[in-house]
Amino acid sequence: MSRAIVTVWKKEMRDAMRDRRSFMAAMGYAFFGPILMAIAFFFLIEQLSDRSAVAIDIEGAESAPNFAQFLTSQDIIQRQQAWPQGQQPITLSIPETWQSAMADGESVEVILRADFSAQKQRSDIERVQRAVQAYSTQVASMRLLMRGIEPQLVSPLTLQKQDLATAGSRAAMIMGSVLVFIILSVFWSGMNVAIDISAGERERHSLEFLLAQPLSSQALVWGKALTASTFALFGALLSLTIIPIVFSFVPLAQIGISMTLTAPMLLSMFLQLIPLALLATALQLFVSFRAKNFKEAQTYISFLLMVPMLAVFGVEFARIKSTVLAYLPLTGQHQAFLSLIRGEALNTVGVLVSALLTLVLSVGLLSYIGRMLKSEKTVFGL
Amino acid sequence: MIETVQLKKQFKEVQALSGLSFQANDGQITGLLGPNGAGKTTCLRIIYGLLQADAGQALIAGIDASQKPLAARQEIGIFPDKFGLYERLTVREQVQYFACLQGLSLNQAEQATQQVIDELDMQALADRRSAGFSQGQRMKVALAQAIVHRPGHLILDEPSRGLDVMSTRILRGLLRELKQQGTCILFSSHVMQEVAALCDNVVVMANGQVAAQGTPEQLCQLTGEAALEDAFVKIIGSDEGIAA
Repeated sequence: MSRAIVTVWKKEMRDAMRDRRSFMAAMGYAFFGPILMAIAFFFLIEQLSDRSAVAIDIEGAESAPNFAQFLTSQDIIQRQQAWPQGQQPITLSIPETWQSAMADGESVEVILRADFSAQKQRSDIERVQRAVQAYSTQVASMRLLMRGIEPQLVSPLTLQKQDLATAGSRAAMIMGSVLVFIILSVFWSGMNVAIDISAGERERHSLEFLLAQPLSSQALVWGKALTASTFALFGALLSLTIIPIVFSFVPLAQIGISMTLTAPMLLSMFLQLIPLALLATALQLFVSFRAKNFKEAQTYISFLLMVPMLAVFGVEFARIKSTVLAYLPLTGQHQAFLSLIRGEALNTVGVLVSALLTLVLSVGLLSYIGRMLKSEKTVFGL
Repeated sequence: MIETVQLKKQFKEVQALSGLSFQANDGQITGLLGPNGAGKTTCLRIIYGLLQADAGQALIAGIDASQKPLAARQEIGIFPDKFGLYERLTVREQVQYFACLQGLSLNQAEQATQQVIDELDMQALADRRSAGFSQGQRMKVALAQAIVHRPGHLILDEPSRGLDVMSTRILRGLLRELKQQGTCILFSSHVMQEVAALCDNVVVMANGQVAAQGTPEQLCQLTGEAALEDAFVKIIGSDEGIAA
C-alpha cells in the first residue's frame, strides 16, 4: 500500500508542478496576500496617525511673530471660520508686551481661554497647551545657554508618553486578520491541486482507467491527499516566511502594536498547520470527487473556504470564550496562534488534542472518500 | 480465460444486461459485437470490477473481480471506453506510472515502458507531453498503458475508433502477436471488418444477452449470409430464430 501511495504522490506532484495554474494559486496567495495586507495596514496607520490642524483664535499674534510661526509649525493655526453652535471658542491671547518682556528675560503671561470641561475640545486644548509648553521650554533652554548653563540641568526627567487608547482594538483586528490569513493559507494553496486531481481526473476521463488499476482506492486517495497537502504546506511555509519580512516594513509601532514573530513561534505555527493541511485537503477532495467537473468543484470549494473563515471570525466577533474551542480542529489552532502572538503560554494539551482530533477527522474523511470511490454511483455519476 | 455467467445489471429503468454468459479463451481473440447500447461497455466494466452485477458472476482466470478486485486487476490490461491522458506528462512518464501501479519495480517499469514504446513504434512521441496529440496518437498511448505490464488478459473497448490505416495495422499486428503469446483478448466493437479480420470467436450481443456465438464463418453459416455484416443484421433483427 505504501509503495502505491508513493507512486501516486510522485506522479501527482510532477503533474501538479507543471500546472501553472495550480502553482500560481499556491504561490500567489502567499506572495501577494501579505503584500496587499501590508499596504492596507500602511494606509490604516497613516490615517490613524494623521493629525489635522487645530484652528483656534489667536489674539495678538502680530506682536509675537516667532511664537506664531512656532504654533503654525505645530499645526495650531488662526481660525478663519466661525465656531460651531454650542461650542465655546478656544482663544489664545498674546499680550502686547511680548517683545519687551522677552528681551528683558521676563515671564510673559499668555492666556488660554476655553471650556476646559468640553470633552470634544479636550485634545485640541491639550495640544495648544503642549505647544505653549514646548515653546516655553525652548526659550528657557536658550536663555540658559546664553548664561552658560546646560539646559538639561533643569529637566532631570523626561517623560515619554505613548497613547494606547484605541490601539488595543485595532491591534486585535490586525493580528486577527494576519492569523486568519495564515490559517487560510493551507486551505487556499492546495485547492487547485485538490480539484485537479479529483474532479479534473473525472473531467479528462482518466478516472475510470486509474480506478481499474490494481491499487486500493485508499492508497489512491492517500497519494492524492498527500500531494495536495504538500502544496498546502508549501503555501503555509511561504506565508509564514513572507509575513514577518513584509510586516517589518509596516510601522505598526506607530499605533502601539508590537508584532514580533520569532523563529520558534513560526516553527510552532507551521507544525500545527500540518494536520490542518491534511484536513483542508481531505475536505476539498471530498467535495470535488463528488463534483462532475472542474467548474462545479470550484463552486463547491469556494463555499468550503467560508468554513475556516466563519469558524475563526465567528469566534472572534461573537467573543465566544469557551475552553472547548482550544481542543477542536481549526479553532484549536486559531486559539494557539492567538496565544503565541500575544506572547502567552501555550496550552500544550489543547494544542495536542486539537492536532489529534484534526488528524483523526482527516483520516476518517479520507477513508470515507476511499470507500466512495468504490461505489459505482460516485465513479460514473449514476 | 474470461468468463461471464448469467450477468444481470439494471440502471434505474434500463435493463442493461439480462443474463449474459460467454467465455473468452486464452490465446484467442474474442470479439464482443453489438449495436450501440447493447451493453458492451457495461459488461466490460463488470468484468474489471468497476460496476457490480446485480446477479451472476464475471471471472478473470477464475477470480471474481467483485470479490477480489485487486487480484483480478493484476491479471488484466484495460483499454477503456473513455480514456484521458495526463497532458502535462510525457508519454514515457505516463506509461511508466501505470507500470508502477501494476506493481512493477521502477527498474522493471522503465524497461517495460521502453519495450512497449518500441513495439508500438512511438519513439518519436515518447518524450513529448501528450497535450495536442492526435486521436490516433492518444490511442497508442492508451494502448501502451494497457499492455505495459504484459497482462495475461487484455480487455479493449472499441480500440480502433479514430485510428488511421497505419495505426490500425499496428494495432492488429500487436493483438495477433499477443494472441500468439497466449494472451486472452476480449474486445468490443461495432465495426464489422475489424471483427471479421481479427476474431477467432465472436459474441454477438443484443438487448443485454448473447444473441449468437461462434467463429465469423460459423455465424455466416448460421444465418446463411456470405458476409458477417449481413449475418450480424440478421441476428440482431430476428433474434428469435437464432436464439432457438
